[in-house]
Amino acid sequence: MRSAIPLIRVQRRLEVPRRVSAAVSAFFILLSFAAAALIFELMGVSSVATFGVIASVFTNPNLLLQAILRGLPIGLAALGLSIAFRMNFWNIGAEGQLYMGMFAATGVVLLHEYQGLIAEPLVIVFMVLASFVAGGLYCALSAALKAKMGVNEVLTTLMLNYIAILFVDFLVYGPWRDPKGFNFPLSIQFPDYARLGFVLGSPSYEGLAMLLVVAFLVYGLMRHTTLGFEMRVVGESPEVAKHAGISYAKALIIGGFISGGLAGIAGFSVVSGIIGRLRPRASPGYGYTAIIVAFLALLNPWLIIPASIFFGGLIVAGDLIQASLKLPFAAVQIFQSIIFLFIIAGEFMKRYRIIVSWR
Amino acid sequence: MADVAWIESVLSGAVQAGTVYLLASLGEVYAERSGILNLGLEGMMILGVAVSFIFTNALGHGAALLVTMLVGGLIALILAFMAVSLRLNQIVVGLALTLFGLGLSGFITSAEIRKGILLSLNPNLSEAALVTQQAPKLPNIAIPVLSDIPLIGEPLFNQNILVYLSYILAIVMWFVLFRTRFGLSLRSVGENPAMADAMGVNVYLMRYIATVIGGMLGALAGAYLFIGYQPFWQEGMTQGRGFISLALVILATWSPLRAILGAYLFGGVEVLQFRLQLLGVGAQTPQFLLMLPYLVTIATLTLLSFEGVKKRIGVPAALATPYSRE
Repeated sequence: MRSAIPLIRVQRRLEVPRRVSAAVSAFFILLSFAAAALIFELMGVSSVATFGVIASVFTNPNLLLQAILRGLPIGLAALGLSIAFRMNFWNIGAEGQLYMGMFAATGVVLLHEYQGLIAEPLVIVFMVLASFVAGGLYCALSAALKAKMGVNEVLTTLMLNYIAILFVDFLVYGPWRDPKGFNFPLSIQFPDYARLGFVLGSPSYEGLAMLLVVAFLVYGLMRHTTLGFEMRVVGESPEVAKHAGISYAKALIIGGFISGGLAGIAGFSVVSGIIGRLRPRASPGYGYTAIIVAFLALLNPWLIIPASIFFGGLIVAGDLIQASLKLPFAAVQIFQSIIFLFIIAGEFMKRYRIIVSWR
Repeated sequence: MADVAWIESVLSGAVQAGTVYLLASLGEVYAERSGILNLGLEGMMILGVAVSFIFTNALGHGAALLVTMLVGGLIALILAFMAVSLRLNQIVVGLALTLFGLGLSGFITSAEIRKGILLSLNPNLSEAALVTQQAPKLPNIAIPVLSDIPLIGEPLFNQNILVYLSYILAIVMWFVLFRTRFGLSLRSVGENPAMADAMGVNVYLMRYIATVIGGMLGALAGAYLFIGYQPFWQEGMTQGRGFISLALVILATWSPLRAILGAYLFGGVEVLQFRLQLLGVGAQTPQFLLMLPYLVTIATLTLLSFEGVKKRIGVPAALATPYSRE
C-alpha cells in the first residue's frame, strides 16, 4: 500500500563518478545564482541588471582581459591552497601571505631604486623570488607550529592575516611612503621594468602565461614527485604516513612553505600587475576568494584557472556595478560567499544518494 | 588618589572591551561542548554589529537587540543544518558563513540600501537619522552600594545592561552546563555522540540547540560592540574579534566561568593598546600596537599546546566531527 508520506533515505555513495560530480557542481552553481538573485531582489536591487553586468564582463574582450588580470592573484593563491588542503593543512592565511608577498616585491623595487644593486631586467625575477620566500616563510611558521606542537593552524593563519595587513599599513604610512606623494599613504610608483606586462605588452597575457606555468608545476609536483606523493599521503592519513616512514613534520613544513610561497607570488602579481605600487588594503580579499576557488575547482590545478578567471570577473563586475548601479562592492562578496555555500552543500549530494520511496 | 582613579579606568576599560569576547565565547563554549566548531562566529558578530546599527536607529535599543539575536540564530541554523544534518566540513562551512556575514553587513549598511531599510522600518525618520554612521549608546546604570566598592566597584558595577547580562549568563550557563541534566546531555554529545545516542539523547537536536545559542550570543556580542562600546560604524569593524573568541574558548578550557578571565585579559590587551597610544607610544605608526591582540592570541595558542598543558585541558573529543548512525 502507498502511504501518503514518502520515505526519504540517504545512502552513502561508495564512489563518486566524475559525471555525477560535474553535474552536481553545475546544478549547485546555478542554484547559488538563484539564491543570490533572491537576496538582491529582497534588498530592492534588480537581479537582472546585476547579472547583466556580470555577463557583460565575460562577453566584452577588454573586460575579459581585466577579469584575467584580477583573477591572477586569486588563481596563484588558490594553486598554493590546493597543495595545503591536499595535506589537510587548513591554511586560511593566503590573504596574509599575499600581503607579505606584496611587501617583499615592493622591497626589491625600492632597494633597486635607491641602491641599484642589480641589472634592471633582473629586478622582476628577484621580485618573484622574494615574494615567494616571504609568503612561504609566513605560512611555514603556522605549519611548523602545527607540525611540532599541534597548534591549530586555522586560528594561527587567520591571526597572521591581520598582522600582515597591519604590517603593510605601517610601511606605507611610515618608512615606505613616497616622499613626493603629497603625504598619501602610497609607495612610489613602480618603474616599467618592475611591472608585469613589460615583455608581452599586456599584464593579462603575461599573467595568464604565469598562471599556466604555475598550474603545470603544481600538477607535476603533486602527481609526479616523491614530495608530492608524501604530501598526499600525509593528507590522507598521518598514521599511514608514519608507517611508510614519511616525516609528517617535514612534509607539512615544506608543503606549507610552497603553499604560502604561491600566495606570496599572488601578492607580487597585485603590486606588479594590477596596482603598480604598494598601498594599504591593496587586496579586496583575493586570499579569501582563493579558498572558494580552490574548492570550486575540487583542488584540481587545471580547473583553478577558469575558476579564478570567473571570480576575477566578479571583482571587475563589482567595480562596474558600483559605478553604474550604485551598489556597494559587498554585493559581489555576498555573491561569492553564496556560491561557496552552495558548492559545499553540493558535496553532500556527491557523497550521498537520496532515495525517495512510496511504500 | 590619582593612581586609584587611573587603575579604575583601566579596569573599567578592560571589562568594557572584554564583554565582546565574553558574550561570544560563552556561546561558543556551548557550541563546542556539543561538538560544533563555529568558524562563522566572526560573520555572525559583524552581522550583529550591522543589524544593531540599523535597528537601533530605526526602532530603538530593545528591538535592535531582539532582531540581532534572531539574525544570529538564523545564520547559526544554516551552520547547524550544513554541519549537523548534512555532515559537511565545519571549518569550510563556518568560513563560508563568515564571508557571507562580512558581505551582507557591508551590503545592508551601504548608504542607499541602509536608507531604504531604515525608511521601510520607520517612515518618520529624520534626514539626519538616515545618514548617520552612529547610534545612541546604551546608558550606564550604576548599581547602588556595589558600585561604591573601592577599586572594583566602578569597573564592575557601573556599566550598561549588556555587561550585567554577560555576568548573569556566565553563571547561569556554567550552572546549566555542569549541574543539570540538559548540560550533561550537551557535554555527552560532544564527548561521545554514539554513547549519548544509545542513552536516548537526541544528538542532532542538542547540536542544533547549542549552535543556535552560540550564534545568538555571537550576534549579541556584535550588538554590544556597537551600541554598548563603540557606536560608530566602520565596515569590518569586528577586526577578527570573533576568531579571537574561538581561541579564548580553548584558554577557558570550555568553561563559561573561566571564559570571564580570558575575556577580560584580552579586553585588557585592547585597553593597554589605547593607553599606550595616549602616552605617545607609536603615535605616528600605531600599527604595531594594533597587532597586539593577534600576537597575544598566537602566543596563547602556542602556550596551550605544550604537552603538559594540553593533557590537562581536555578538548571535547568529538569536536568538529559529524555524527551519523551508519
